[in-house]
Amino acid sequence: MYMTDLHWLSAADIAAAYAAKTLSPVELTQALLARIEKLQPKLHAFIRIDPEGALASARAAEAEIMAGRTRGKLHGVPVGLKDIIDVANLPTTAHSRVLIDNIASADAVVTGKLRGAGAIIMGKLATHEFAIGGPSHDLPWPAARNPWNPDHHPGGSSSGSGAGLASGQFPLALGSDTGGSVRNPASACGIVGLKPTYGLVSRRGVFPLSFTLDHVGPMTRTVADNATLLDVIAGHDPADPGSAATKAQNFGRELGHGVRGLRIGFIRHFHETDMPAHLEVTAALEIAERVLEAEGASVRTITLPSLDEFSAVNRVILTSEAWAIHAKWLREQPQNYGELSRQRLMPGAFIPAGDYINAQRRRLSMIAAVNDALRDHDILMCASSMDPASDIHDFAETSRTYPRQARTPFNVTGHPALAMCAGFSSVGLPLSVQFVGRYFADATVLRVAQAYERATDWHKRRAPIR
Amino acid sequence: MDEELFRALIRASGLERTFAAYPDDVRAAAEQALRTAGAIPEPADPRAEPWPPMQAGPEL
Repeated sequence: MYMTDLHWLSAADIAAAYAAKTLSPVELTQALLARIEKLQPKLHAFIRIDPEGALASARAAEAEIMAGRTRGKLHGVPVGLKDIIDVANLPTTAHSRVLIDNIASADAVVTGKLRGAGAIIMGKLATHEFAIGGPSHDLPWPAARNPWNPDHHPGGSSSGSGAGLASGQFPLALGSDTGGSVRNPASACGIVGLKPTYGLVSRRGVFPLSFTLDHVGPMTRTVADNATLLDVIAGHDPADPGSAATKAQNFGRELGHGVRGLRIGFIRHFHETDMPAHLEVTAALEIAERVLEAEGASVRTITLPSLDEFSAVNRVILTSEAWAIHAKWLREQPQNYGELSRQRLMPGAFIPAGDYINAQRRRLSMIAAVNDALRDHDILMCASSMDPASDIHDFAETSRTYPRQARTPFNVTGHPALAMCAGFSSVGLPLSVQFVGRYFADATVLRVAQAYERATDWHKRRAPIR
Repeated sequence: MDEELFRALIRASGLERTFAAYPDDVRAAAEQALRTAGAIPEPADPRAEPWPPMQAGPEL
């Protein structure tokens, strides 16, 4: 195998190469560290690279694999972690001056699960400050850039996760998703991002943004890798009050089953009337519909509450809960926040408690509406981003397009939702589609996503970054 | 937002110091909150429960 090819290997490819003894964890880790070093000045995907830790883990994995003690599909596979996720003895900064000296005393639950599976942690990845304030240019580290065009933003808030995956710096990453922060970079960077069912993945050791909206999710370049990563990080955590008491699942169990006979509800009003999408996004969604029909699914138009209604509920809940988390720091050290974070974290100070309670009440009726739609359909599909990623320096255009999305509904309701590449714009930027499933039917979401992936070739394109 | 009410809310939130240093940011946050006010209708039944605030399906 040529060294230049290593950075595009999927986790499944890597596991196969280890099994065939054509690749070693140390060889792969060294190759990826070299690529990270080359791309970091252009893309800023990392806040902190951990070459010593990564190589130590690689050597340990290599020794175990050579001795025939393979732990599983992620043994010796590199992964990047959004820098709100604790890794023991490394800083968790949340990309903020507020936490610049915050050394994690223990691993987050998801970090521990990855270590247990033998994954190699390459370092901590760029994020919007506290998973909300970005893209920003007044923080201690630069904002991550989009590998498809570094003048454009890579989505957020899991910005480094998206940028690093799309540029071949690691095959797996974790992000968090409170209003779409796994699925936004997946959409902007042309990768696969899953917000699992609320409660499926522990959030313990992950810096919170909004307790009842936060999810941790897998980000990958292929759907199969996404299922494998979810297998490792999912599971009940009695110390996370939002954790669901689920049994272990094989989230890849439906992969390869195709979509023949599945009923898909297409939420057209999200991108046609609620928030009219860019013409190229609309065209990509129509093509996605035809692809799934050609694969044997039946697609029917359905209606849910409007994006404005979902967005209002999300905003009231998110800003109220975020204010409760940040109030003390915003009073005592506002200078340590970036401007966008200050503006986005303080609205909760001005929202009456009654509005928060009403948002939670309205949320329950929205959950019922999505559950009703999923009684008659196996999967829902809709837009993710309404526009391709904007120029990162064009503040007005970024401010206009960032909120134009259909991701927040499923943070409000907690249903599993996956965003993936659905083509490219005329200037070569990724476009996206979103699939949504029933509670704990994450495997079905992945099944549909893989059927779409197999029927198209978007995932085979590589960002032109060198 | 009425200026007198705005100042009172700043005091109630303990944001005087933040407002002194970053008046535009505090004002932007207040305006964002104001845009949200009234966007969510009160339920027809005043007895409607908001709890549990988040629970995915029957497995919890």
